[in-house]
Amino acid sequence: MKYVVTIGSQHVEVEVVGSRVLVGGKALEASLAAVPGTPLRHLLVGGESWTLAADPAEGPGRWALGVVGERVEVEALDERAREIQALAGKRPAPAGGRTVKAPMPGLVVRIEVAAGQPVAAGTGLVVVEAMKMENELRAPQPGVVATVHVEVGQAVEKGAPLVTLASPEASG
Amino acid sequence: MAPFKRVLVANRGEVALRVIRACHEEGLEAVAVYSDADRLSPHVRAAHVAVPIGAAPAAESYLDIAKLIEAARTTECQAIHPGYGFLSERAPFAEAVTQAGLTFVGPPATAIQAMGDKTEARRRMQAAGVPVVPGTTRPVPDHVQAGAEAARLGYPVLLKAVAGGGGKGMRLVRDEAELESAFQGAESEAMKAFGAGELYLEKYLDRPRHIEIQILADTYGRVVALGERECSIQRRHQKLIEEAPSVAVTPALRRRLSEAATAAAGSVGYLGAGTIEFLLAPTGEFYFLEMNTRLQVEHPVTELVFGVDIVREQLRVAQGQPLRVHSGALQPRGHAIECRITAEDPFNDFLPATGMIRYLQAPSGPGVRWDGGVEAGNEVTLFYDPLLAKLIVWGDTRAAALQRMRRALRELVIVGIPSSQAFHLRVLADPDFQRGDVDVTYLERVGERLLAAELAPELIQPLAIAAALLAEEQRASAAAAAPPTAPPPARPSVWTLAARRESVGG
Repeated sequence: MKYVVTIGSQHVEVEVVGSRVLVGGKALEASLAAVPGTPLRHLLVGGESWTLAADPAEGPGRWALGVVGERVEVEALDERAREIQALAGKRPAPAGGRTVKAPMPGLVVRIEVAAGQPVAAGTGLVVVEAMKMENELRAPQPGVVATVHVEVGQAVEKGAPLVTLASPEASG
Repeated sequence: MAPFKRVLVANRGEVALRVIRACHEEGLEAVAVYSDADRLSPHVRAAHVAVPIGAAPAAESYLDIAKLIEAARTTECQAIHPGYGFLSERAPFAEAVTQAGLTFVGPPATAIQAMGDKTEARRRMQAAGVPVVPGTTRPVPDHVQAGAEAARLGYPVLLKAVAGGGGKGMRLVRDEAELESAFQGAESEAMKAFGAGELYLEKYLDRPRHIEIQILADTYGRVVALGERECSIQRRHQKLIEEAPSVAVTPALRRRLSEAATAAAGSVGYLGAGTIEFLLAPTGEFYFLEMNTRLQVEHPVTELVFGVDIVREQLRVAQGQPLRVHSGALQPRGHAIECRITAEDPFNDFLPATGMIRYLQAPSGPGVRWDGGVEAGNEVTLFYDPLLAKLIVWGDTRAAALQRMRRALRELVIVGIPSSQAFHLRVLADPDFQRGDVDVTYLERVGERLLAAELAPELIQPLAIAAALLAEEQRASAAAAAPPTAPPPARPSVWTLAARRESVGG
C-alpha cells in the first residue's frame, strides 16, 4: 500500500511492500515492533534504530509521534483516503470554517471579536482564565467570525466550542 | 526548637515528594496530605501516613490552614514543612503553626512578613547597606504621584505590586503616555492576585541577568551563602532553566553578592533556607530584587555543585541542630543545570495541557537527577501548577553539563500530554545560550525564532516510515476486525467505526 505522509509542510510518499518500504526511490528493510506494556514502537529501518512514542491523534491516520525529545504531528493517508478527502472538497482544517475550542476547562474573561468580524490568523478571539493565568485563544487561520458560542463569565469545559470561523470567501 | 519525629508536608506533587524523601533520609516520619484530585499521587504513597484534606480546588485543601493544622494534630506531627508555593510564604500560616505548638520548618513569621512587603524589604535592605534598584521605598498612591517619581528616575520604569511576586501586578512603562493605563492595569491585577492593590516604582534596568544567592541560617547565629544560581531564562517572569554557577559571576563578585545576601538575611533574623534575588547589570553592578523566604524550586542545582542537601539542612535547623555545611570559603564544584518539565505546549503559546500521562520514562544514567511528582496513570488537571518534574544534571564543566542535559532530554518520554521538553532542547541547541550570553529578555527576543525552527531533516524519513507502518498496522487490524464475509460483530471496534466513517466520507 502506498501512503502519503504529511509532516508539517512536507509530504513524503512511502510504499509498504511486505517487510520493505520504498521511499525516495530507495527500498529499505523496515520493521516496526511494539514495545510490550508501553505505547513505544521500535523502528529498525536499513539498520538504523529509532524508538518512537506513538500517541493517536484526532482523525484517521494521525499520530503525535515522540522521537529524541521532539513531539511531531504526522498524518499518513493511503490513496483511497486521500481521494475521499479530495471528494469531500473543503476539508474542515485549512480551507473551510473551523471552530476554536477550549483547550482546557476555565472561565471566559474576555471576548475580543464579534460575529461578522473578519480576522487574520493570530488574531485574539477569546481569553480563558485557568490556573489563575489568562490564556488568549487566537484564530488559527484567517476568516470571518461566524458564531461566538460563549459569553463573559461563563465557565467552559475542555473541548467546548468558543468561536466558529468561516473561511473568508464563504458566504456563510 | 526541640527535636521532632514526625513531619506533616503541607504540599503536593514534586516538592512534597522531595520533602518526604529528605524526612526519610533524616530518619523522620512524613505525613502527606492530599486533595480529592491527588488520591493516587506519588507523594501520597511515599508517606507513612496520608490524610485527605478536601476537594480539588487548592482553596478547599492545600490552602486551608485550619485543615492542615488539624491534620498535623490528629496524626501526632510535631512539625510542618510548607514546601514552596501554596502557604509557604504566608506569615499567618507560620504563625498559626507555631501557635498550635508545632514547629514551622522555615523562617520566623516576622521574617516572612518583613520580606513579603516589597517596599519594607527595600527599606530594610538599604538600611543594611545592600544596593537596591533605584526607585521608591514607599507605595505610590496614584498615577500622578507615580508620574512625578518616574520623571525623577527616568523612563523606562517598572510598576510593581507591594505585596507582589511572580510578575503579577507588574507593568513596564516606556514613557509618560503609558503610565495612567499601566497604573490602573497593575493595580487591579495586584488587587486580584494579592488582595492588595498598592504599587511602587523601580527604574527598569536594561538587559540584566537574574542572579540569586542561596543562604542557610541556623540558631547558632551562622548564616552561610551557597553561591549563586543563574535564572535568566524566564518566560513572563516564570523561570524555565536555571544553572549554577553563573558564567557572569567571578569569585570576587560571588564574594560581594554573598556578603550582601548574608547581610540581608541577618537583618531580618532569618532561619533555615532562603534565597536573595538580585539583578546583575551588564556593567557588573547588582541590585537587591527580593527575598524568597522558603525553599526554591531550583534548589537542586545548588545542591549538586556544593554537595549539600538543602531540605535536610532545613529539617536540622528546625530541630535546633547546627548546619552541617563546613566553615571556610565555599566554592562551587563543576556545573549543574535544571530544566523545568511542565505540562505546557511550547508550540501553542505555552497553553497549559491537561490529560492523563499514559506513559512516562524518566532519564537516568550518570549525573542525572529526576525530581518528579507524577507517574504514568496520573491525571494532569488545571487545579494546580503545571510543573511535572525537574530534570537536573551535573557535569565537571558547563559544556559537559549542557551535553549531558541534551542526552537526558532525548531520553525523556512523556506520552499523553504535551510538555516543555522540546522547548528545552531548542534552547540548549542555541549558540547564544551555549555561550552563556543570556539575560532576562532572552526568551522574549529569541523564543519565537527557536520554536519556529524546522524539524531536523534527518528525522523526516524515519518519522514518515513509522507513520506509514502505523497506518498499515491500523489497516490490517481493521480488516481483521471486520472481514468482508463475516457477520458484523456485536460491538463494533473503533477501527470498524473509523472505517465506516471513512467510507461515508465523514
